[in-house]
Order: sequence, then C-alpha cells, then structure tokens
Amino acid sequence: MHLSITKPGSRIAGKAVHKTRETATERILILLSRYREASIAVVAIVLIIYFQIGSRGGFLSPQFMSVVLRDTGRLGLIAVAEVMLMITGEIDLSVSGTFSIAPYIMVLMSIAWGAPLWVGATVGVAIGVLVGFINGVITVRLRVPSLITTVGTLFLLQGIVVSIYNSQPIIAPVEEPFNAIFGESLADPASSDLTLRALTAFTPFAWTVVVVAILGVVLSRTSFGLHTVATGSNIIAAREIGVRTDRIKIYNFMIAGGCAALAGLINTAQFTSADPQAGSPFLTLQAIAAAVIGGTSLIGGSGTVIGALIGAFVVATLNNGLVMVGAQATVSDIYLGAAIIAAMILSVQVDRLRTRRRK
Amino acid sequence: MTIETIAPLDPDAAVVLEMSHISKSFGPVTALVDVSIKLRQGEVLALVGDNGAGKSTLIKILSGFHHPDTGTITAKGKPIRFSSPREARAQGIETVYQDLAMIGDLSVYHNMFLGREYHKRFFGLKLLDNAKMRDLAQTYLDTLGISIPNVNATVDLLSGGQRQCIAVARSIYSSPSILVLDEPLAALGVRESAHVLGLIQNLRRQRKVSVVLIVHNYNQIFEVCDRINFLHSGEIVLDAETSRTSEEELIRIVKSGLGRAAIAAAAAGVESGPT
Repeated sequence: MHLSITKPGSRIAGKAVHKTRETATERILILLSRYREASIAVVAIVLIIYFQIGSRGGFLSPQFMSVVLRDTGRLGLIAVAEVMLMITGEIDLSVSGTFSIAPYIMVLMSIAWGAPLWVGATVGVAIGVLVGFINGVITVRLRVPSLITTVGTLFLLQGIVVSIYNSQPIIAPVEEPFNAIFGESLADPASSDLTLRALTAFTPFAWTVVVVAILGVVLSRTSFGLHTVATGSNIIAAREIGVRTDRIKIYNFMIAGGCAALAGLINTAQFTSADPQAGSPFLTLQAIAAAVIGGTSLIGGSGTVIGALIGAFVVATLNNGLVMVGAQATVSDIYLGAAIIAAMILSVQVDRLRTRRRK
Repeated sequence: MTIETIAPLDPDAAVVLEMSHISKSFGPVTALVDVSIKLRQGEVLALVGDNGAGKSTLIKILSGFHHPDTGTITAKGKPIRFSSPREARAQGIETVYQDLAMIGDLSVYHNMFLGREYHKRFFGLKLLDNAKMRDLAQTYLDTLGISIPNVNATVDLLSGGQRQCIAVARSIYSSPSILVLDEPLAALGVRESAHVLGLIQNLRRQRKVSVVLIVHNYNQIFEVCDRINFLHSGEIVLDAETSRTSEEELIRIVKSGLGRAAIAAAAAGVESGPT
C-alpha cells in the first residue's frame, strides 16, 4: 500500500502506478478477509467428505442430513443472534433461558386460556424481545458487563420457567397451519435421494435460512448494520461521529432475544412438547462456538451471519457425525471441544497474520 | 515532498474567528490567561509551545470540550457559544482528534459517510447506496489530492498517515469554516508526516477552510503555516506571520529562557504580525 499526495491536477499519472501495487498474496488476503465464510465453508466440505467416507455413504443420506440440518437450524438461529450482538462487542448468555420460556408461555396460554398458538407465539417472541431489552438496558445504561448481566437473566429465566409448572414438560397442542409452518418435516421419509426437500428437511432449517438472509442484508446493506459494526469496532469514535451506540446495542440485544424465542417456539412445534429444560446453557455455548468458528471476532467489530450458519453446520456435523462413524456418544464432546479450540487458534492466528500484513 | 511556495494569505482576508481575552483555570491550575487569537479565511495557524503551555486547552475550548471561564468567541463577527463538540460542529468548527476517530473495520468510503449515509430504495426498503458513496468518496479524495489504492479497503489496512488524511477529509466534507487539528503529526514517521503536510498544503492552496493546528516541529510549521502563535504558561507571547519571521528566530525565542519576561524580550526582536 502506498499513498502519495500530489497536486490535484497531477495525480492521474500517479494513480495508474499505485493501482498495480497490490501483490497477488495481498489480493488473496483481501479476498479472504472479505469472504471469511469461504474458509469455514472449506472446513465444512472437508468434514462432509470425511464423514461420508467414514460412514460408508451414510452421512449424506436424507434421513441423516435431516437430523444434522435440524440441529443446524436450531443452533444457527441462536448463533446468528449472537453474531449481531458479538459484533457490537457484547454477548448474551441468557438466550437458552429465552429459548425455554417463550414456548412454555405459548403452550400454557393455549392450555389454560385456549389461546391460539400463533397468539401465544407472538407473546413468546415479544417476551424474548423484552428480555433482550432488559439485558440491553442493564448492560448499557447501568454499565454492567453483558457477560454478568446475561448470566443473571439466564438464572432468572430458568428459575421462572421451572417454578411456573413444577418443572414439568407439557405436551404441546398441535394446531394447523401453525405446526405445518413452524415444525414439520418437509422430507419424504420414503425417498432415499438427496433432494431439495431433504435439504430443507425440517422447517426449522428453512426458518433459519430466512433469518440469516434478513440479518445478512441488515448487517451489510443498512445503516443499522453499518452502525452495529462501528459500535463494536471503535465505540468512542462511533459515538464521536454521532452513532447512537447505546441504542444500537439495545436493539441488538432485542434481536438476539427475539431470535432465541423464535428458535424455542420452532423447537416446541417440532417436538410438540414444551420442556422447561429444553434450552440448556450448553446450547448457548455451542451457538457462540458456531459463531466464532464462522469467523465472528470475540472482541467485536466483525462477523458474518452466513459464516455463523456454516459454523452451526460444522458443530452439528461434529455432534452427529462423530457418533455415526463410531465414536461413543460420551466422548463426542471431547472431539467437539478439541475442534472448537483448534478453530479458535486458527481464527486468532489468521487474524494476527492479517494484522501483520497491514503494516 | 519539496517545500513549495504558496502565495501568502491576502492581508484583507475576512476574520472568520476571534477568541478574545480567554481565561481558563482547572482548580488551582491556570491553563490560559487572557488569550486572544484571530483566524482569517483560509489561514493556517500553528499553535506552538511546551507541554502545559495551554495549547490543548485552547483547542479544546475551540472544539467545544471546555468552556472558557472568561472571554468571548465570535465567528464572522457574531458571538457564538457552544457547550459540546456537537454544538461546535453545528457552528462550522470541525475537530480531528489525536485518536483519529476512525472505524478500523469499515471501509474508507463507509468511514467517510458514517452517520450521513446515502440510501436507495429497494422494494420499499431503505438500503445503503454503496456505489454512490464509493464514487463520492473517490472523487472527493481526488479533489483533495489524497491518493489511496482502494476506497474499499478497510481503514486498519491503511498507514497512520493515510488514516490521518482520511480523517481530515471526512471532517471537511461538510464544508466547515474552521478545521481544528490536535497534533495531526504526532506518532507519524517522516514519510507519513509528508502525506499529512501535503494535504494541509492543498487545503491552504484552496483557501476555503481555516485551519488551527498544534505542531511541534518548527521546520514543518514554516512549511505549511501562515501564522504562528507561541504559547507559554497560558499566555500568547508571540504572534507572527511565518513569512515575516524565521525558524532561527523562533528557536532563539524558545532558548531564551522560561520566564515570560525573558521570552517577551526575545520576542520583541521579532517583527510581530498585524493584530
């Protein structure tokens, strides 16, 4: 990179020279940094090939893919919610609480008052958004680090949902078209071909793709997205320029809460059961791991929602694939943990390499 | 980068800003005593002096961070008051801070237009008009003579000098009447400084915006500034046009001692500019 100051009239000649200064390696690095999703996509493809060979062709069967994609959908929806928040430099550990409480309220409203599921679902999402708002206000206005705030709300929500109905799972009513829209398998169980129907296996995955598409556009094509990145990248500068950083953070907490509630509702519609224990904190941690594997920075300022979705696919693939190729279910977490640590080391090292190149 | 001669400022240029009899204390510490400065249209004014002389306080009053205890500020003949940097900006005074206020993870053109993005409608949605911002940023940087390889590059890919130039470019995009630069050359190498000095020189050639800056290197002052105000212990002890004084004289004043009387005596030998 080179810069020159010339007189306004004489710079045309200089421009042509400077344009060619980028070397091929620099161009590849710039390309990689612009499409961070590409590198994680390569990892995902390698995993698919590995498990496909290891399982003698069983991995890419519609039956198995539908399980992986269902998990990808559930994890991905929470992961993308975390991405937006992590870009602003905050984190939400309470999403699993929201994941549990939103569908529980929906089902209770249906059973106790006969409220239609879509009404309960709307209330559930509203509760998720409200939880996000509370997290945001406590973090931003009362200056409690979000790591602490959301651990607090996590226990709070978990406590509430457990105490409502004696910690009992409730069978969720089935209402059409609600269940068709949110929870049914689109895959034809008889079909052994890998088709588009199999790929969209369960509607949860389709919903997650829709949310990823929306948030992807929001992040890269709107002022809100630009201000979200600015807030996480350099909050003092962003504030100085006039970005309302407090609001940006609170809105992103609300988006995270809403997404977590939606994920919980879909989960309940799919299993026709509202379980107070459905959202374990483990789910949140896996979602955060998926986001980071997908290229979201742990210190804020950068991240991609498509990367998070692919990251969720990688985590879901490891979870299910390891068992499939013969690892015992009890040890699959060991592999997952090792994979996460490896992904983090790689991510940090690639960042360092990029930073060094910048000098 | 060669030192080029730019026609001296028109002596009849309108006064765009006047700070009169400004005093400021922080508790027992007196930062400024009865300081008056004048800034004319298109003028580049250097504030020099030792650490603690009051340069930064003066600049922070100008950019709205501090309020003077006494004294008035008038812009184009009208008294103005502001109680925050935002209000100062609304009155046409832009400040580029030492920390640069750039967003490292955003591209050059997004940094240029952050907080004043252009949008286009797409099926009723208000989406960023990136193509327009990219073109405007490129054109604008061209007119200022700032050449960077790619406006798509994220800012933290740029060098310190390039970032400083972009920060200045962004500040003057809204056509302020006054640009305040708080040590624009601090932490920059020789080559890097040359870029920023070149930009200030281009601004000076265009004579559209008046610039107040803190510089420490006397050589650089004589390269790009029209006037010097020398502060010592919160007072202006020298107010001279660079074309009518020299680096040697300035150094002689600085070396003459630390007391006000000593400096004033030395300064008396230097022809003062019109007040």
